[in-house]
Parts: sequence; structure tokens; C-alpha cells
Amino acid sequence: MKFLDKVNRNFLSLLTTILLVCSLAGYFALHQIILNETKESLIDKENLLIKHITETDEMPNLYPILEVKKINELRVSEPEFRKIMIQDSTENELEPYLEYSNEIKVNGSFYSIKLRQSVFENEDLVIILAFSLFVILLIVFGISFFISKKMNKTIWANFEQNLFTIEHFNFNEKKKITLLESDIDEFDRLNKVIEILTEKLKTDYLSLKEFTENASHEIQTPLAVTLLNLEEVLQQDLNQETFKKVLTSINALKRLSILNQSLILLAKIENKQFKADKNISFKDLVDIKIQELTPLFESKKLTVELIFEQDFALLINNQLADILLNNLLSNAINHNNTGGSIKLVIRDHELIICNTGKSNSLTNKTIFNRFVKGTSKSYGLGLAIIKNICDTHNLEINYTKNSMHCFTITKII
Amino acid sequence: MKILIIEDEIDLLITISNYLIKENYICDLADNFQKADEKLSIYEYDIILLDITLPGGSGLDLIKTIKKFQVKAGVIIISAKNSLDDKIFGLDLGADDYMTKPFQLSELNSRIKALLRRRHFDGTNILNFKEISINTDGKSVSVNGNEIIITPKEYDVLLFFLINKNRVLTKEAIAEHLWADNIDMANNFDFIYTHLNNIRKKIKNAGGNDYIKTIYGMGYKFSDL
Repeated sequence: MKFLDKVNRNFLSLLTTILLVCSLAGYFALHQIILNETKESLIDKENLLIKHITETDEMPNLYPILEVKKINELRVSEPEFRKIMIQDSTENELEPYLEYSNEIKVNGSFYSIKLRQSVFENEDLVIILAFSLFVILLIVFGISFFISKKMNKTIWANFEQNLFTIEHFNFNEKKKITLLESDIDEFDRLNKVIEILTEKLKTDYLSLKEFTENASHEIQTPLAVTLLNLEEVLQQDLNQETFKKVLTSINALKRLSILNQSLILLAKIENKQFKADKNISFKDLVDIKIQELTPLFESKKLTVELIFEQDFALLINNQLADILLNNLLSNAINHNNTGGSIKLVIRDHELIICNTGKSNSLTNKTIFNRFVKGTSKSYGLGLAIIKNICDTHNLEINYTKNSMHCFTITKII
Repeated sequence: MKILIIEDEIDLLITISNYLIKENYICDLADNFQKADEKLSIYEYDIILLDITLPGGSGLDLIKTIKKFQVKAGVIIISAKNSLDDKIFGLDLGADDYMTKPFQLSELNSRIKALLRRRHFDGTNILNFKEISINTDGKSVSVNGNEIIITPKEYDVLLFFLINKNRVLTKEAIAEHLWADNIDMANNFDFIYTHLNNIRKKIKNAGGNDYIKTIYGMGYKFSDL
């Protein structure tokens, strides 16, 4: 869950609770206040009544709000409030009333008085007031919720942007990581830590890369010395056993050297050290390659079929385009049966190279990994190099197996 | 033919010079930038083998000195870096060829010979061996004076043999010479047999002898019977 969603969700549930509690509390408080007011007003009226009886000796009666009766003696000492229901004469409905009953002594006579006040409107009032309270609170909370949401968004905008920058940061790029500043200390501290860490990681990464590259280059010189000397040894009059041993050593060292060069090549492709500076026509390149490789096709008795629909042109480095086709075609030759065939399809957006070969399908997931070899004596780097070239040139490569093993290179649009 | 070898790795320097002396070249050696710079400004050479990474400076800078004092000389860069940029830059500066370490001595010889031919230091474009004669200008081969029809690859193989006569050449060395290392052949060298058999047949049909000796089925040697 996103931080802001989490905050907003908590905020909302808290607001709902507060809103409900406040509205209910408001309702009961108002109810109590109005009840007290009514009671006070009834007591005020009693005083007015007592004054009226003292002065005029009259007993006013106004049903249902006022009832006065003469009595012989005082039976109840305490005045009493109670809620009663009275039939309304006009609307013929039961209406709630608050009744105040007391027994008093005025000018030597005893009276029982009953004062009543309708509380029907009171209830309405309380509900209206409580509802208004609810609405006001709802509006206030709503506004504050949206304001805080907006504010959070602005506050977190830079953070979101920085997160995006970090997610898309590439150690190979020369640029330093640049994070947006905010006026929040915690965020700025985090930015600083990240900037320092990435700088450190980057230096480590680059020095490691440099070390690997230098080491690879340095390996070539001693290899050259050994190979040249072994080549000279081969020129002497050797018996078959020794000749074979020397030759095996030469070939093993040669393999080591090619392996090393392939690894350097992979690193260079990954580091984007090849400038894509030429719009290469793969039709032309394929034609050249087919001509160049004809002796290899012939020695394995392979038939080559080229289906040309539209030129597959690509902005790529000369050398890489060459390596790409070399590797694809070497593959198609090396994994082919004697007397098999190779089919090439060139279309506007795709390049397909198919070859006959062993009937079992290759594992699509691992074939592009380094050092994954089939049954051949190859190094298992050819396809890894092809994959790397595709990855760095917005191309997709897929392997399919129908009647032939096919590699399809598609432009990602 | 006088060759200056500029290379900081002493072992490599000695191996190369020993080989080239055997091939009847006169060799001069320099193992750092200053020595090379000095020799280039004093003596005259036909071919200069130049390593790029040298103590004291870059070999590429030496090309300028070469162009100033050694107008006639051919330059072959030998570098540990298989970098196209270096190659293009070096060739732009005026180098004639570029080889990546590790290379084969037979290949080096073939490149030197090709360079000498291009610059006509040998004074001839005809290579003769007994009844076989190769015209490097027309890329044609004749046996006993009769031209035989030969494919470009077969021509390349035969020329490689003639330049490296009396030398054991492995199948791998021949394949590498033909394909310049670019193709992963996964030890499929059958096509070499095909080429060699074709060459043998063509020379034989024209009345020539078979000078290609097979060494234990693993290598070949072009030599006098």
C-alpha cells in the first residue's frame, strides 16, 4: 500500500469515528440542555401562577398546559417532573408533554397545580441541530481531508520523482545521480545518503570493470608469447605424439584467447562502447556473408534458401552487425546435420534464421545465458553475445522449434 | 629487408625477431617509446611492427614520426586490444595493417609479404616455386606456364602455403588465415580438406607435383619433394 493511501485511509476512518461520536454526543447534550430549559421555564410559569393567585384569588385553567385545583391538605411535599402523552384535540394524535406537578399553599388555601409544555417541537429542534452539527463537521473534515491530500501530494512529489530516478539509475552512465531537493530535512538527509552510496558503488563498479578489462587485455600478451613459441616448436622434427601434444596445447590456448576476447566483447557491448553510427542494410550484409561462408556450407553440403521481402535496416555499429550475423550463421552451420538446410527470411521488421538439426528442442529460457552449451564444442558465448547485441539495440530475439530451429529477431516498436 | 620491431614485451620481441631472422629479414628491436623514436629518426626501415601500448608513450604517436622520417616504410600495428576504434584510428594515421595478439607467425609473415608486395619492395608481383607460379596482381596461378582456374579461397590457401613454405601449418592456422577469426567454427575444419584436395587435383591435372605434405593428419607443410 502506498504511503499516502495508508495515511488517507487512517485519516478517513478516524474522521468517520469522530464524526459519529461528536454527532451523537451533540444530540444528547442538546437534548439535555433543552430539557433543562423547559423545566426552568415551567418553574418560572409556576411563580407567575402563584403571583396571579395571590393577587386575584382566581384559579386559571388552560387545558392541557395549565390545571389548578383546590385541595384540602398537602399530600406531596416535593414538586415532580414527568413525561406524559396527551391526546391532541385538533390532530387527534398522542403528543409528548413535560408535566410539572406541585402542591402549594397560597393565602391559607391549598392548591394542586399541573403545568405542561409540549416537547414535540423540542425533539424536532434537537434532531435539526444535531444534524446541522453533523453536516458542518462533515464539510470541515471533507475540506481538511482534501487539503491535506493535496499538500501531501506536493510534499511527496519530489520524493516520488527521486524514487523514479533511483529506480532507473544505470551505473554505466557517466552522469552522477541527481535527486531533487525538498524543504524537508528527512528527505534531504535520505537524498544525501543515497548520493554518497551510489557514488561509492559506482566507483567500485567502474574500478572493478576497469580491472576486468585490463586483466583481459594483459592476458593476451603472455598468451601471444606462449602461442608463438609453441608454433616454433611445431616446426621442429617432432614425433607424432609430441606433435599432437603441442598442437593440443596451441588449440587449448587459442580457445582461451577467443574465450577471453568474447568476454571482453560482451563487456564492451554491455557498456555500450560501440557507437551505433551506421544504417546497415541486412540484405546487403547477408548477401556478403552467404558468399563468404559458401565454402563452409559446401563442406557440410548445406542448402541455403534466402527469402527476401523487404530490407531489414538498422542503426548499428558495423562490427556488431557483422558479429551478429557471423554468430547466427556459425550457429546455423555448427548445429546443422550434414546435408541439411538453412533458411533466411528478411522482412521489414524481422530477420529469421532457421536451420535443420537435432530433433530435440532447446530450452528457450537458458539458451541465451553465458556458457550454456549444447552438444557442440563451442564456448556457449555466441548466443549470449547475440542476445546482448539485441538487448542494446531495441531488438527482441526469440527461439522457436517447428520442423527447424529458428531464431527470430524483431524490432521493438 | 629491414624490419624494426617495437614491442615492450621482451619475450614476444625475441620470439618474433628470431622467427623473422630465420625468414631472412634484418631485424632491429626497440622495447620502449624513446628507443623506438630514436631509431626511427636515425635509420631506415622497410617494415615497422608497432605495438600500441608502450612504456613512455602510445605507439599511435610513433606513426607521426614514421610518416616524417620513414616515408617508404610499411607499418603493421600489433595490439592486444581487439578494438575497431584503435584499428580505424591507426589506419587513418597511416598504418598499413592491424593484427591482434595473439597472432601466428605464419600469419605475420603472410601480412609482411603482402605489404611488401603492395609497396613493390620485392620489385616483382610473381612468386615462383618450382613449376608453380603465382601472380599476385592478377591473383592467378599457373603451372608449367599454363594458367589454372582457381577459386579465390583456393588462391588464398596456395599463396599462404607458398609464403610459408617449409613451415608446418595447422588446419586451424589456415582456417584462421581464411576467416580472420570471426567465425566460430567449432572445430569443423572439413572444408580445409576440400580446398586442399581441389588445389592438389588442379595442380596435378596441369602436370604439377603435389608439394602439400600432410603431417600426422593434423597439419600441412608445403615443401620440395
